[in-house]
Order: sequence, then C-alpha cells, then structure tokens
Amino acid sequence: MIKEKLTITKQITSRAVTISLIGELDLSAAPELQAELEPYVNQNVRSLILNLKDLHYIDSTGIGILIRVLKHRKALDGGFKLVEVSPKIKKLFDITGISQYLDLEVAGPSQERKEEIV
Amino acid sequence: MNHEEQQVQLIVPADAHYVDIVRLTLYGIATKWGFSYEDIEDMKVAVAEACNNAVLHAYKDQEPGKVEVTFSGMEGKWIRISVKDQGASFDYHRRSGQPDALHNKQLDEIHAGGLGIYMMQALMDEVQVITEAGTEVILTKFLERNGELA
Repeated sequence: MIKEKLTITKQITSRAVTISLIGELDLSAAPELQAELEPYVNQNVRSLILNLKDLHYIDSTGIGILIRVLKHRKALDGGFKLVEVSPKIKKLFDITGISQYLDLEVAGPSQERKEEIV
Repeated sequence: MNHEEQQVQLIVPADAHYVDIVRLTLYGIATKWGFSYEDIEDMKVAVAEACNNAVLHAYKDQEPGKVEVTFSGMEGKWIRISVKDQGASFDYHRRSGQPDALHNKQLDEIHAGGLGIYMMQALMDEVQVITEAGTEVILTKFLERNGELA
C-alpha cells in the first residue's frame, strides 16, 4: 500500500507503554495493529495505554481487537487504559456497549482539531 | 434542489483495502444529498460493516469476487445503500440474534461476533438483508429536518 491508513507510534517508560493510533482502524489495518500490540499485551510489567486522540475511524474489527486485549489484560492483571478518546469514537463504544468494560478518558474540550474526510 | 431519484453505482474488489473507497464515495454522495456530518459518520460505519461482511465471508475458499455498491436516493430526503456480493450467503439471521450487543454482560461472555450487524442496525433507520444468489444488505437513512422526517 502506498499510503498507510493507520500510523502507530510507541512511547515506552519503565511503568507504561503508550501506543498512539493515528488515522483509521478498519479491517485492512487490523492485522498490523494486532502484530504491534502483541508483545505488550502479554506482559504485566508495564501497563498498556492506547492514545486515540488522532484515531478518526474504528469499525467492529477494531472494537474486536480491543475486546481481545481487554480479556488478556484482565487475565494477566495488567493495566489497560484508553486516553483522549474523541466523541465520535466514544459514541461507537457506547453503542456497542464496550464502554462499560473500558478504563476510558475522553478527549478534553480543548481538543479542537480538523476532521478528515474518511 | 433535484427531487428526482438519483443512483450511483460502484463495483470494488472484495478486498479489505477497497472498503475505504466505498466510505469516501458515500461521503461525497451523502454530502451532495444534504446529510449532516453526524449522519454521514454513522452511515460510513454501517456501510463499511456491510462491506466487511462481504470481504470476510462471501468468497471464502473461492476466487476473490466483487462487491457491488449502489447508492440511491433523493436530495434532501433519503439515501439507500445496497451492498451486494455473489458469494456464499452469510447467515445474517443467525448472527443478528444478539440484539443487545455487549450490554448487560460479563467481560468473559463478550465477543466481537455479530457486532458489525448490531452497529448497522443501531446506526441506520432501516436494515434489510436478502440472501439469494449471494447476499445483499440494504441500508436506508432518512434525512431529518427540525426533528421531523423530511
């Protein structure tokens, strides 16, 4: 693919791994995200944080990944948190019902940003 | 404003990398026909879920096929999106037997199966599934004005 739909960046400290998702998480981007998450999902030394500030789109495949990560992290007793979730993404978490299982922080009102087309 | 029914057709490979083309096309058409940003965001997710099902289930164990997407509607009134494949029929009726999605369940009981169909139903006004030669999912949204149907 010439242009990646989803860009994944990582920030690792002694206590946490913060993974930022930038772009669109759909069926075509799901395998890449799963591969990137794999090493951090299965360890409980660091808590796992997903920053969704610049995630513009998620589908049921993406939500499916979050469900699997949630279950793994709970079984390991490892921390798992979503931060800076935009209202658009939060709406889909609420509709599907996954919100109730997530440790989730929504993006603050100062998070004005331009929306992309897709 | 044009009050005649319009139609736009798009045929894409049943491949995950082409679902964004369907989303982009929907954005362009729904904007032209007067839908709000929020409505378009909802429809983008619903239409992509219908495409995902075609990509994942229609042409399993056979030659990769096509997905035919037909956008019909009337400016300022309604939009109907048909997503049709010629592959193995997907058992929507069995899959949609989970109307409450993940609500009111324990974490170990939840799974992603059926979520796509649930999202289509939650985000559109009408969802119709026809399974004959392949599967056709028809998604409809009416344009609301001042809280009433236009």
